[in-house]
Amino acid sequence: MVGHSGKILNKIIIAVGVILLLLWIIIPTFWAFKTSISVPEEAWKPIPTKITLDNYLSLFNPSLEAILRGMGLRAALPDPMIVYVTNSLIVSLTASIIGVIFGSLAGYNLARFSYRGKKIVMWLVLFAYVFPVFILMVPILVMMRYLGLYNTLLGLSIVHLAYTLPYSTLIMRSYFSGIPSVLEEAALIDGCTRLEALWRVVVPVAIPGFVTAFIFSFTLSWNDLLFALILLNSSHKYTLPIATTFFLWGGEIVDPGGLAATAIFAGIVPSVLYMLVQKYVVVGLVKGAVKA
Amino acid sequence: MSRTAQSLYNWIYVLPTLVLIIIIFIIPIAYNIWLSFQEKTIGGEAVFAGLKNYQRLLASSMFYKSVGNSLFYTFISVTSKALIGLGVALLLNKKFWGRGFLRGFSILPWAFPSFVVAVLFWFNYDYRGTFNTIFKMLGLQPVHWMSYENAMWSVILINIWHGWPFFFMGYLAGLQAIPTDLYEAADIDGANVYQKFIHITVPQLKQVLLTVMLLSTMWTLGEFTQIYMTTGGGPVDATLTIPMATYKIAFLTEINFPLAAAYTILVLPIYLFLIYFTLKQMGE
Repeated sequence: MVGHSGKILNKIIIAVGVILLLLWIIIPTFWAFKTSISVPEEAWKPIPTKITLDNYLSLFNPSLEAILRGMGLRAALPDPMIVYVTNSLIVSLTASIIGVIFGSLAGYNLARFSYRGKKIVMWLVLFAYVFPVFILMVPILVMMRYLGLYNTLLGLSIVHLAYTLPYSTLIMRSYFSGIPSVLEEAALIDGCTRLEALWRVVVPVAIPGFVTAFIFSFTLSWNDLLFALILLNSSHKYTLPIATTFFLWGGEIVDPGGLAATAIFAGIVPSVLYMLVQKYVVVGLVKGAVKA
Repeated sequence: MSRTAQSLYNWIYVLPTLVLIIIIFIIPIAYNIWLSFQEKTIGGEAVFAGLKNYQRLLASSMFYKSVGNSLFYTFISVTSKALIGLGVALLLNKKFWGRGFLRGFSILPWAFPSFVVAVLFWFNYDYRGTFNTIFKMLGLQPVHWMSYENAMWSVILINIWHGWPFFFMGYLAGLQAIPTDLYEAADIDGANVYQKFIHITVPQLKQVLLTVMLLSTMWTLGEFTQIYMTTGGGPVDATLTIPMATYKIAFLTEINFPLAAAYTILVLPIYLFLIYFTLKQMGE
């Protein structure tokens, strides 16, 4: 039986657990965050004495000083970081918009229609969702060269559909399954075609689903290093993940402040987006595929 | 509309997705198989080489080392993530002030991209960085985190730190779905905390646990970014996992596409085996 002492014990367990949890999350993030707001001389001091936003401002418009600090780095990355941020944005937006459009059409099909061969389609989508993409690195490179899309942001966006398309299809399927089909049937009786019913009746209701699918797709593409590494070879086309790799030369960090600001900036974008759709995280990833 | 026309019409919706999946996944897998039987010639066309690439890989210690590394990395990492995720889910399923904030905050590591997590740990593993500063404060000797002996554990820690919230989210959703009257009934029967955990919580969580576990195993076995950015598979071959080995064969050491293709075909059964169970578990 839970008595008075049991309640106190419970409180102690919660307090210790919360402290451990906070330390576990904060300690590994702390140094990068701290370095991003300290002056270069204090990069390797645990506690900064001066706080500055220069590192963040240098991402967009590097001062001469910041350029000199990253001398070795500038040979590989001649442009300000904002160029790589823009490239990443272009790729992620293209990949996620195409992924969500095609994915929601397929998701609608899988949620609503029954026909021969549907099982195979569903199986293919799930297969693509879990298939480890690194296995495709050589053939994708060869294919993109053949198609003339090597070293183009468009080519990279198309390859990123490998991440965004299966994911959008699954999440939109689970979302459409949750919308009662009476809605479209009413519209069909009123003389709409299927596509009209989809566009006028279902799409407005499914907007939260689209937002979720879009945000996840965006972050999946934003996070990719492997394909960017393989498919891009001129520095002005690099995406943010590749640009980041150049900050480590022979095990030494060049320009810690600039690197820390880049990493925090690159991490905040998806984190904020995730927080917005937190509720759907698991539903989308795990249950989305389970629900029939 | 006739039935055939209707069913053709249905296909239009999935057609773009199907075509893209075939172009991005199926054709490259087929091409990989074909390529694995070819041989690279200097500046020339690929020529048929039979099983030569496979023989070369099976005779190299690198192949066994990389598979072994990957299995070790994945096993330790997934087990730890599952345990930490369970602990945090049980903690944040209790009622207390600040729980809502902590639930959101706990997603943070997972919301960071892999390459950002790698950078965070560059700072942590640096000789002057976070961990050694803490060690010094505790009066311990600083450690070379990326030495041959430590590197594997270091990259495993990165993966654990990044991936545990996925388990936490899965468990939490599972815990919230357990009907409370099950616990009430157990209370009436006089069950203690431990008995309730074993006989109610664990069986009710089994399905979600299995799905999350399989997905995480797939992703961990395919993790490239964290290792590329921290150790690059080194020192020597200490952290050479399957994805890293594929990249090295194709682009760094051998620069031999057919050999890389053969390598991916050789390891493919491991992944197909897991994919089979994942798909079965996911309900299709």
